[in-house]
Amino acid sequence: MSASSPIAAARRNHELGLVLMVAVITGCAYILAALGRDANVPANLGPFLGVIVLLIVGAHVATRILAKGADAVLLPLAALLNGIGFVMLARLDAKRLAGLQATWTLIGVAAYVLTLLVVRRANDLGRYQWTFFIIGAGLLVMPFVPGVGQNFNGARIWVSIGPINFQPGEFAKIALALFFAGYLTEHRELISAGTWRVGPFNLPEPRHLLPLVLPWSISVLVMIGQKDLGSSLLFFTLFVIMLWVATEKASFLAIGTVLFVGGAYFAWRSFAHVQDRVNIWLDPWSRYEGKGYQIVQASFALGSGELGGTGLGLGTPGKIPEAKNDFIFAAIGEELGLFGATAILLAFVLIIGAGFRTALRADRPFEKLLAVGLTTIIGVQSFIIIAGVIRVLPLTGVTLPFVSYGGSSLVANYVLLALLMRVSDSSARRLGEVPDVPGWAEMRAAKRYARATFRTESEDTVVASTMERGRRRHGDPAAPSDAWVEDIGAPEPFPGNRRVAAASDATTRFDTPQIPPDLVDDTVSIWDADAVTGPIVPPPPARPSSAVPPDEPDTVADLPATPPPPPPPRGPRAPNHRPDDEEDWR
Amino acid sequence: MNSRIRRLAVGLMACFVILFVQLNFLQVGQSEELQTDTRNTRQIVRDFNRFRGPILSADGQILAFSQPIEGDDFDYQRTYPLGPLFANVTGYYSFNFGATQIEKTKNDVLAGRTTEQQLGGITDILDPDAQTAGQVVLTLRNDLQAAARDLLGGREGSIVALDPRTGAVLAMYSEPTFDPNQVAVHNSTEAGNALEFLNALPGKPLLANAYQERYMPGSTFKMVTTAVALDEGVVNLETFWPDEKEYLPPLTTDPIENYGGSTCGGDMATVFKRSCNTPFARIAVELGPERMVNGAERFLLNQAVPFDLPRVASSNFGAVDDFVDATPLLAIRGFGQNEVAITPLQMALISGSIANGGKMMRPYVVDSTLDSKGSVLSRTEPSVISTTMSPATSAIMTDLMVGVVNEGTAQCCMQLASGIQAAAKTGTAQLNSKDEPERSHAWITAFAPADAPEIVVAVMLKGVNDEISAGTGGKLAGPLARQFLDAYFS
Repeated sequence: MSASSPIAAARRNHELGLVLMVAVITGCAYILAALGRDANVPANLGPFLGVIVLLIVGAHVATRILAKGADAVLLPLAALLNGIGFVMLARLDAKRLAGLQATWTLIGVAAYVLTLLVVRRANDLGRYQWTFFIIGAGLLVMPFVPGVGQNFNGARIWVSIGPINFQPGEFAKIALALFFAGYLTEHRELISAGTWRVGPFNLPEPRHLLPLVLPWSISVLVMIGQKDLGSSLLFFTLFVIMLWVATEKASFLAIGTVLFVGGAYFAWRSFAHVQDRVNIWLDPWSRYEGKGYQIVQASFALGSGELGGTGLGLGTPGKIPEAKNDFIFAAIGEELGLFGATAILLAFVLIIGAGFRTALRADRPFEKLLAVGLTTIIGVQSFIIIAGVIRVLPLTGVTLPFVSYGGSSLVANYVLLALLMRVSDSSARRLGEVPDVPGWAEMRAAKRYARATFRTESEDTVVASTMERGRRRHGDPAAPSDAWVEDIGAPEPFPGNRRVAAASDATTRFDTPQIPPDLVDDTVSIWDADAVTGPIVPPPPARPSSAVPPDEPDTVADLPATPPPPPPPRGPRAPNHRPDDEEDWR
Repeated sequence: MNSRIRRLAVGLMACFVILFVQLNFLQVGQSEELQTDTRNTRQIVRDFNRFRGPILSADGQILAFSQPIEGDDFDYQRTYPLGPLFANVTGYYSFNFGATQIEKTKNDVLAGRTTEQQLGGITDILDPDAQTAGQVVLTLRNDLQAAARDLLGGREGSIVALDPRTGAVLAMYSEPTFDPNQVAVHNSTEAGNALEFLNALPGKPLLANAYQERYMPGSTFKMVTTAVALDEGVVNLETFWPDEKEYLPPLTTDPIENYGGSTCGGDMATVFKRSCNTPFARIAVELGPERMVNGAERFLLNQAVPFDLPRVASSNFGAVDDFVDATPLLAIRGFGQNEVAITPLQMALISGSIANGGKMMRPYVVDSTLDSKGSVLSRTEPSVISTTMSPATSAIMTDLMVGVVNEGTAQCCMQLASGIQAAAKTGTAQLNSKDEPERSHAWITAFAPADAPEIVVAVMLKGVNDEISAGTGGKLAGPLARQFLDAYFS
């Protein structure tokens, strides 16, 4: 951890600056809201500001240590949304909600740090895809379990275990995103191949298609069983988008749209509450006395906000039922006006942008898909609820990520953020922007492995040489290793010559002379459980231990000047060969 | 995958652009509409927590102001120190039931929301105590309003006085009325009960008799018929009607009688001051539907007069089509009976136009609006809304009305204490048909001084019982008008 890089330092310093700005904004907004409400500077201002700075800077420090290469804007944006949401909640209900939301924020930040601590390599998560599927599905059916599930406001989305109440759906969406990412990484080629011809369509083999019907069933289950239209729509969109991105087949988008339209029509025909929602959307005004009240009040709130808003603490957002939850956007629009509401929109747009940038930078399909999935969750969820509040779409109740009141939502979104940060950090490491030194757990694993394999060699030598390599590569900017960094950092066709890099990487890692050449491939199978079950990957052609791939100039100086052999040929790949898993040891 | 991710990013951005557009639509495009929606009480809540400017009478009396209060849902209580006296002009300002009259029409000024006030407030942005709430100064005078109330003495009716030269309303009091303080309380149950009670009362205290209800004008309408006929050259001062007891218009067998079945006739001045019915029925028939209706409409009949208070009742004479093949109807309406209906305010405007050389001025109650520092935001400029007759006709009409005071139906009771010559016309509008108990509205409208009129007053006593028919309009309403003018000139 001692090693650092200018890029990482710059990112983290930017993040610190932004995070401090967020703390200032939140603090000022809090004071303004209190002044607006009862013309008094709140008595608890000192402790409050202290807690904000502590939380927000704590999250930053954790990022600095645990994900130093990660994107610089994601955390500040989330903190900004969280902060404005908190100010709004404190303004709506200072007695109860403010304290609860503060506690949830604390837990959320803790979950963020914990996720970064536990998940050290985003790609590792891919191998637990079925675990995540079971977790996700389990969480989704939890509300149906008698004695545990709770009905609330007509939707059965709550679970109550002992003193803890939570919405498992909030966590299920992350588990399902992980599952989709893992599953699609493995099967995308099979799915997109479409060998089963039905009429004019080329469909994937039924057995590959089956797991894909599952998500659709999940959406239907959520819609019918839990009457939770928003989550249902979110799951379905998430799934279709990930499928489309993974397979690059627009037909899945079309099939998804058809399924969605069909499902929507069916739901509209069959369920009174869906018809209600649609009718309210079409004409809330005539239903003001009844079900349209909430949405009309939201429109009034937004209209009263005008450009600059009434000012914090000076509006009456309390008139909107559930202003703290689904309708918090309307409350913000009233008190902060078009400017404030647009700032919220922009914050989400920037989060989405940063999320997709992370996905673009990621070079492994799993990480790419995971970043796409997580970003889609935030983007689509915020779109669905804001669109519902401002009458672009029928209202489907979901929370506004990071802003709405709600422990489950906040904690889940912080976990989501941590995963996105982790993907971003992993890419930065692989792109060579940050030194890639093994974490504590990995060092232990390495020791264990060393104990098992290199009985003749001291464990410390392995570890030390590993760390030495990291230092050599990144610690000294003047070292010839920089050339290597640029080499890898340069854009390369994906997955292309990754294998070369992977193989060479593995070679250099164990300072070749001491390690038997066959180890090169064994490292792969040790660190990638899936590789063991899959067909054996043809190893890169054996190289003489003294041989150096041409793209590794940093080792040239240390080795005898023998002419380098040609790079290993890129043979045809096995169908489900995953080239990306080979170089996990970093 | 990267190309798909980019497309996805563009797609999601597009979704957010849609949100931004709709947000603009709601917060800017539709903002006005949403804020003024009656179901949106947001603005009101804000306003109730802010100082609201006072309403003042022309002589500086505070008629409505915001009183800071403690221990309530809101920081200010709208208070009307004079109780019911100006209720029908100021209206009330209620949290649950909205605002009426000046409180409604001048809401922007009182709340400090006109553009000028807000621009002026920008310089005070750093001063937390700065408030932009403006003031409204009325043309009504507290002393005249109180005089009107005392003169009516609880009898149902109305007294309206205005300056015929400008249209500025000097007093406008209606009985029954109500106490706006009872409606302005913040407790919705209390305010609701008060309103419910007021609505249930037969006299409709929430409606101002003076301009929101209309009454049969009776003989006072002869001013209109005479002026139209003089203007059209159908009659002149030499025109003579022989004495007769009744007149049978064409197409009917039901004759028109003079008041109390008396015999009546003579020259123009005589029939006007004695207020015979049959000559005016004949004049109306002679004018015919078209000229009569057009003439009446020059006096703004068949419409609501423009006014700066809301919901003015529209008056009625009848359309040309109503009188085609219905000559008897025209005859009856020619002297103000049947379905002719008029507000006391319009009655004052009609005689005011005679006093003002045939120019009917637009009536108004708001003299000026001031900003929080007392500088004028706007001042009502007098304007002519109709030319009712030629100046020559107005001079003749003034003479005829002086005759009414000196030798006619108002001889009893229109001699002003100051010796100033007044001009007047009385009216007794018979409400019952032949077999019913007698019931009439009593009217008088007068202006003074006759040679240079500066005030015109209309008094109407509502025909709720047989008291009025026992006397006549002149005898009952006349003393009220005289005392009112005395109060004005003293």
